[in-house]
Amino acid sequence: MNTLKNYAGLLTSLVVVVLIALAPIFSGNAASREVVFTILRAIVLASSLNILLGYTGYVSFGHIVFFGFGGYVGFYLITAQGQSLWVAMLAGGLVSGLLAYLLGKAILRLRGAYFALATIGVNEAVRAFINNFEPFGGPTGMTMNFSVYQQYGGAMQALEMTFYIMLVLTILVVILSYVVRTSKFGLGLLAIREDEDAAEVMGVVAPDAKTWAFVLSAIFPGMVGALFFFKNGSVEPLDAFPLHTSIEMIVMVMLGGQGTVLGPILGAAGYQRMRGLLVTSTIFKNIQLAVSGGLLLLIVLFVPAGIIGWARQRWPKWRGVLQ
Amino acid sequence: MKRSFTILLALVLALSLMLAACQPQAPAATETSGGESGGETAAKTQTLVIGFTASQTGKYNVSSGRQVNGLNLWMKQINDAGGIKLSDGTVVTFKAVSYDDESNKDRVQELYTRLATEDNADMLISPYSSGLTAAAAVIAEQYGKVMLTTGAASDATYKQGYTKVFQMYTPASRYLTGAVDLLAKTDPSVKKVAFVYENSKFSTAVVEAAKDYAADKGYDVVLYEGYDPETTDFGPFINKIQDAGAEAILGGGHFQDGSAFARQLFEKNVPVKFVTLLVAPPEPDFADLGDAAVGIIGPSQWEPLAAFKPDFGPTGKEFEAAYMAAYNEEPSYHSAGGYAAGLVLEKAIRDADSTDPDAIKAALDNMDLTLFFGKIKFDTSPEAHGLQIGHSMIYIQWQKDGDTLGKQVVWPEDGATAKVLYPLH
Repeated sequence: MNTLKNYAGLLTSLVVVVLIALAPIFSGNAASREVVFTILRAIVLASSLNILLGYTGYVSFGHIVFFGFGGYVGFYLITAQGQSLWVAMLAGGLVSGLLAYLLGKAILRLRGAYFALATIGVNEAVRAFINNFEPFGGPTGMTMNFSVYQQYGGAMQALEMTFYIMLVLTILVVILSYVVRTSKFGLGLLAIREDEDAAEVMGVVAPDAKTWAFVLSAIFPGMVGALFFFKNGSVEPLDAFPLHTSIEMIVMVMLGGQGTVLGPILGAAGYQRMRGLLVTSTIFKNIQLAVSGGLLLLIVLFVPAGIIGWARQRWPKWRGVLQ
Repeated sequence: MKRSFTILLALVLALSLMLAACQPQAPAATETSGGESGGETAAKTQTLVIGFTASQTGKYNVSSGRQVNGLNLWMKQINDAGGIKLSDGTVVTFKAVSYDDESNKDRVQELYTRLATEDNADMLISPYSSGLTAAAAVIAEQYGKVMLTTGAASDATYKQGYTKVFQMYTPASRYLTGAVDLLAKTDPSVKKVAFVYENSKFSTAVVEAAKDYAADKGYDVVLYEGYDPETTDFGPFINKIQDAGAEAILGGGHFQDGSAFARQLFEKNVPVKFVTLLVAPPEPDFADLGDAAVGIIGPSQWEPLAAFKPDFGPTGKEFEAAYMAAYNEEPSYHSAGGYAAGLVLEKAIRDADSTDPDAIKAALDNMDLTLFFGKIKFDTSPEAHGLQIGHSMIYIQWQKDGDTLGKQVVWPEDGATAKVLYPLH
């Protein structure tokens, strides 16, 4: 019973993820599956960013670079080297983690707005590099032959499989987010967020902790990139490094509640569901971006701590569940 | 302090999203079934759903909007005319269902799956641009839906083993090859050619193919250099062109950079004989360059001047008049592509005398016809099924008639309305 209580926060988050994924699993409805795939992708990206933004307090405006870079490496392995999706995803995650490690060593010495600006620069620099890197197709990108899906039982099965893989990745990223938050390492990150100098005085090795937080926040976006572009059948620089998606990721984290495990899940699901409904709504489809912007403005004005942050303040007794 | 920073950051983020929304909106192409299809109560009426996404917001907004306008015009006309009557008495009418893809790939597969499964689209039209079309093609093929692509010139999409995807446009690999032929025909003594192009998917694909073609024809490619899409100062490239002693320039990318490039070539009085740029020259706004536009050649998928003799559908003049009446603007080749996609679907249904997807696909495979848009024929080989092999580019050149600046078709010879103005210097 006590064990259950100890893990109540994790269980709540996992239950929410599973509930989101239940509808297409039971109905078998392909359109609903695609909608949930988009939501799960957003949850993975937002929860990953939360490790850096929410726990460590560093705003990354170019976090999508890990999604794009991992996606490119994975796609290259599938199309040019004939590797399986599994190898591609693993490699995508590893190279993104490695990129984050190297970048972390260099730019995590910067703080506040300077770090945020540097992350935008990194995204643009990697995009420019890929744009001129011939093995990755340069500006024209790469395209995958439709027959590749045959290895996975045909396109229908392959696309359905990507949904389940995305669900597993989402569950793993939620567990990672929870483990980081409740670990000694996570406490160090939270201390850095509150006051980096004080944290160092208290024995937190800030440069190392920040770098590892950066690495952990990059691995899953890299794996998701490989999966997403496999499903899309093509990759090109403009699609792989869209700056606006980085901004959306920050919005999702802040909407749900930064620094919490459940917050980015609710933020990503709420934001994506709202966008998905508006874009297909007869009334709002032509003004969906304006409506999204207006709603977000209202939320951040009146609930600046995000949904979970607000709930934790409102119902302190439930803090064990609302982590 | 920290709280105020958080609120400020949140406000900036929300405002940036709102700003992103403040882009010009294309005329709504939501759910349309232009015209009346009633009055045939005795005959069995079947309404086919045509599904597509349109870029109502984002960078493809204008081109995609015109493509949709063209398709909607065809749909209104065919429905107003009472639809297509099949030999079994069935009257086929059309209804369009579309969503905004925001000019990005994030939701394209989600929306096309919705079109294929929830909206039960019988046929699909591609989004605008090769990138978005590549993502949509996977879904079309998976659900066995015939998809006609307009605004998607990249060859690569049609070489991935698809069997249900059919291309309306001349592929990127043949975008500039006609310009090489025109140069060879006009002045066989020219040998030194420079390729200066925008470093983007479309332009690079076009120029790579044109460079190989030029090299095969014996041209000496003295410069082959890409520029960033944001480039506004072409000075360094112009210096390289002059240093290399190029006699002809081929390249460009999109409207803004192409216009700037042409203007700066004129201002610096670069001594080249022949300039062909992508995308920008066919646009009516290119005339704003004044004398800098004179002599510049550009490839176009279609021009109102083109005088093809159609064996199906309206003539170019009839299409232009109908489009002007409906939208009060001149049709661009995007508009013509959208309209022509409708005509091709109509012809396929008539040829198949059925609405069965397999019969329509077979009719498309066998199609070989000329529309006001040009010749339409699809590759049926397994390696490049659906690739457009009938349609050819038209090359226009800005020429002066007295003080009036206007476009003239200069290639191919059989569609030419004027002799090419050559040399530039």
